[in-house]
Amino acid sequence: MAEPKTKYDRQLRIWGEQGQAALERSSVCLLNCGPTGSETLKNLVLGGVGSITVVDGSKVEVGDLGNNFMVDESCVGQSKAKCVCSFLQELNDAVKAKFIEEYPQALIESNPSFFSQFTLVVATQLVEDSMVKLDRICRDANVALVFARSYGLTGFIRISVKEHTVIESKPDHFLDDLRLNNPWPELRSFADTIDLNTSDPVVHKHTPYVIILVKMAEEWAKSHGGCLPSTRDEKKQFKDLIKARMIAIDEDNYKEAMEASFKVFAPRGISSELEKIINDGSAEVGSSSSEFWVTVAALKDFIDNEGNGEAPLEGSIPDMTSSTELYVNLQKIYQAKAVADFIAMEQKVRHILKIIGRDPYSISNAYIKSFCKSARKLRVCRYRPIEDEFNTPVQAELQKCLTDEDYSYAAGFYILLRAADRFAANYNSFPGEFEGGMDEDISRLKSIAVGLLSDLGCNGSSLIEDLINEMCRYGAAELHAVAALIGGIASQEVIKLITRQFVPMSGTFIFNGIDHKSQLLLL
Amino acid sequence: MIKLFKVKEKQKELAENANGKPPVKKQSAGELRLHKDISELNLPKTCTIAFPNGKDDLMNFEVTIRPDEGYYLGGTFVFSFQISPIYPHEAPKVKCKTKVYHPNIDLEGNVCLNILREDWKPVLNINTIIYGLYHLFTEPNHEDPLNPDAAAVLRDNPKLFESNVRRAMAGGYVGQMFFPRCV
Amino acid sequence: MADSTAKSSRTRDLDKLLERRGPLVGANFLASSETISDIKEFLNVLVVGAGGLGCELLKDLALSGFQKLEVIDMDRIEVTNLNRQFLFRLEDVGKPKAEVAAKRVMERINGVEIRHHFCRIEDKPLEFYEKFNIIVLGLDSIEARSYINAVACGFLEYDSDDNPIEETMKAMVDGGTEGFKGHARVILPGLTPCFECTIWLFPPQVKFPLCTLAETPRTAAHCIEYAHLIKWDEVHSGKSFDPDNLDHMQWVYTEAAKRAELFGIQGVTYSLTQGVVKNIIPAIASTNAIISAACSLETLKIATGCSKLLSNYLTYNGVEGLHTKVTEFVRDKDCLVCGPGVLIELDASVTLKKFIDILKDHPKLFLTGVSITYRGKNLYMRAPPVLEEMTRPNLDIQLFELMDRTPKDIIHVTGAAGKGEKKQSCLRKLRVVFKGLDGVTDLDMAGGA
Repeated sequence: MAEPKTKYDRQLRIWGEQGQAALERSSVCLLNCGPTGSETLKNLVLGGVGSITVVDGSKVEVGDLGNNFMVDESCVGQSKAKCVCSFLQELNDAVKAKFIEEYPQALIESNPSFFSQFTLVVATQLVEDSMVKLDRICRDANVALVFARSYGLTGFIRISVKEHTVIESKPDHFLDDLRLNNPWPELRSFADTIDLNTSDPVVHKHTPYVIILVKMAEEWAKSHGGCLPSTRDEKKQFKDLIKARMIAIDEDNYKEAMEASFKVFAPRGISSELEKIINDGSAEVGSSSSEFWVTVAALKDFIDNEGNGEAPLEGSIPDMTSSTELYVNLQKIYQAKAVADFIAMEQKVRHILKIIGRDPYSISNAYIKSFCKSARKLRVCRYRPIEDEFNTPVQAELQKCLTDEDYSYAAGFYILLRAADRFAANYNSFPGEFEGGMDEDISRLKSIAVGLLSDLGCNGSSLIEDLINEMCRYGAAELHAVAALIGGIASQEVIKLITRQFVPMSGTFIFNGIDHKSQLLLL
Repeated sequence: MIKLFKVKEKQKELAENANGKPPVKKQSAGELRLHKDISELNLPKTCTIAFPNGKDDLMNFEVTIRPDEGYYLGGTFVFSFQISPIYPHEAPKVKCKTKVYHPNIDLEGNVCLNILREDWKPVLNINTIIYGLYHLFTEPNHEDPLNPDAAAVLRDNPKLFESNVRRAMAGGYVGQMFFPRCV
Repeated sequence: MADSTAKSSRTRDLDKLLERRGPLVGANFLASSETISDIKEFLNVLVVGAGGLGCELLKDLALSGFQKLEVIDMDRIEVTNLNRQFLFRLEDVGKPKAEVAAKRVMERINGVEIRHHFCRIEDKPLEFYEKFNIIVLGLDSIEARSYINAVACGFLEYDSDDNPIEETMKAMVDGGTEGFKGHARVILPGLTPCFECTIWLFPPQVKFPLCTLAETPRTAAHCIEYAHLIKWDEVHSGKSFDPDNLDHMQWVYTEAAKRAELFGIQGVTYSLTQGVVKNIIPAIASTNAIISAACSLETLKIATGCSKLLSNYLTYNGVEGLHTKVTEFVRDKDCLVCGPGVLIELDASVTLKKFIDILKDHPKLFLTGVSITYRGKNLYMRAPPVLEEMTRPNLDIQLFELMDRTPKDIIHVTGAAGKGEKKQSCLRKLRVVFKGLDGVTDLDMAGGA
């Protein structure tokens, strides 16, 4: 009855069968299963990841019952990893759940190769030193890594992976691929078969705006030395010309044509983002290049040749006022061009594979098709090693954020979260972790934070005093609501990384639970 | 907030509402806006409105249109209106209760009027809709058909269309379809 | 020693936030070890909805010091809920969500009591809502939000200077999600914009023209809506379509597929048919978790003042990278739902007719062409004639009687306001207070004026 497809219906509508299959193939490792880690995994288990491995060496304490839903009274004194794991298993029996009762920092030291078996590691509540070590290990093993930390009313999330490439970035708002400013011959000749001056009012109001604009752009170009409207005046003139063609006030297709006229004025060719990708060093492919970069190399060749400066056509058109027949025929013309572009791309991919000494058929048609369909929306995300960011953050950016009204809390928390780890390394507890000695902790934390800022080349006085007190008040508390929020975001980023759909966050996300003015810091 | 109620608790006897509140019925924002629309109705002589559930239920009403010109002169056409509690965020649901031979109204009473669906905006009101409906009878159009047979006849043979309308309104068959009398 | 006390407390982490003073807290914050027991004793919190957000909210609130909660939801558990509504298991399918959600949270967290209500929000009398201080909304419809908002704002009273009376304020925390996107907001009626003040934030649903469906379908959705909205009635005269009936859905799918075939349109699938007909909003666990957590954190802040409040609308978008944004929306001063309205003091002897005359000369109104409605009763309608006739007899009756002898209450009037050229059609809220009533003490004045 509950075939997985039904259970996952609401998410299949977002990432499709492909995305779901990727999730189900994946194996995720969680380090530390306090509320932040447990909540992250909960969302992934519900979504149906293939397997989870929970690593935590601690025993459940009474205090854990107040912030972690995955443990209850009966768990006190038992392995936290075991208890959390067994609750998570209840949520979805399709997931393989395992646990390892061991402290993550010990595992990082003793058994670095352990991590290479996973698709992705979620590391929660780690201190700086362990983060740096784990980051090195995962980078070497090419395992994606997501750090998440909850700390009082603040916390952070940081992705770390050398490179993450996305074909299906699925942006919300992206200009459709209609080529109104640069129609190919078949579209042009289809437009030629249609007379805008038809006397039949039904035909007139059911001519799709794509045709109206292709024809009117052509007309304009003829009388303007081959150029399309570019100045404000010209653009207005062009719109007025469209308006003048209306024969009744309720012609929605002409209204749509006026609204869409900017698509005629848009520059031809590819975006600067795509330009950057095809000119990336990785697009110079060799025998060990990834599928993605091999196909990018083919794309570059396509744009330079068959594409005449354009990427392969996406091949779909938005709904628009039209008769069914014209719309369906128009759709076919776009689809036919997309198929032709795909065939050209496929040949190039096979050719390149051959040149670099790989099986020419090692990249599937489905992959190339999907690539062509989203060629204009490709994304390449690269993340600095944690160690580099910690030692040499983009100093100007950090200094700017510290003093910018919108960023100062987030930047302050960034520094203080790191200072708290240094504090812990020096004094064996986090500032304010235990009752008593609050004033002393505040001044110690302050001097550590100022020292850290000066190590990073920033002005120590730009730190907000109140935040230091606030940080000590938190005493490294892991509040459930904050953990659920941080864990929620971490799981969402994990899903994007595993499905290779949508665009994962860049930089370090600093959660600001005071007024929710959280920020991404690009350090 | 706790502080506030902790203090309040001490004076709880005061809070006991001896007087009792009236048996309250809450009006939705939609009802209020509709109240405004209805109280500002300015209908042409050809249109009347009725409230089958009495004066206190404005959310369901009927509008009767008796066109004074055009093909449908002399006919009487009743539309039911159903208003959502989130009106005017959502357009009224309007159906034609009189079976009519009309290019823009189908035999189930669905009406093709842009402001009832794709072009509805919260600034529009009940008056606009009633005028729109009235307009459908004075100027039926064959370009946006919901009854394609009627639309084709109107386009190709207005004379025949006129006589079909007459026949339907008088109570009779147009093709295979029977229309009850509505004049 | 410090170590051992920390370990023995169940609220080890929460205590730090609630028992320690801080520089960035709310004005009403009192660092105290009694806060959690006070929440339980003095605050009533209602969670509306036990679905994707509701399940998370109940867990988050229960683990944020709210040991006494109520939850209301009219739905039963479905298989498609299981990818995110983590309190439900396969064997729970068909059971009421509110009941199972409450039970699961109570099973796991000692000391938490959750009362559940398996019914529509409209089924509860208004008195049901009166006891709640904070209402947390985990809903997916504008209608339901608008309803709860109107109920909550309905309890709000203003003093004679048009300042909201704090004790009557029912705070709302509202969350919503769609795919990778969501919002969380805090509504303090009388202080921050209510749902109705900013209803324009919710874009109206796209509706296809019926003639497009009938004559010029172009997309799969057009074919589906044709089968659903037009063909169904044509074939099943009188029988209404039930989206939860699998046979009905299958019928629509089959018809839509036939139509698509006829017109050469691609893309009609059963899944899309369900999506279009039921207007399914894609939903995932992570976004619900994020938004619910933000809502719960704000609920804790409203209750205790342990930090500043979200002011007042947070959006989250994880589609392209990660974007969060806080927007401070402003109140609609004339909002019919949360605004103070115009205070009018009247003699109990005033007839409706006399009242209408008073409005004409009232310096804040200058209202002419007046129609009046009181809690769903139309006291007077100047148009259309049929209603004018029905309500005319009321003109000679005392307003106090027409208002069921209620010493003070809200009424709504429409008419043309202002003077001369500046006359403008308007809809106004009035706070009517009757003076000099024998034997009636105006109790509310104790709290306000």
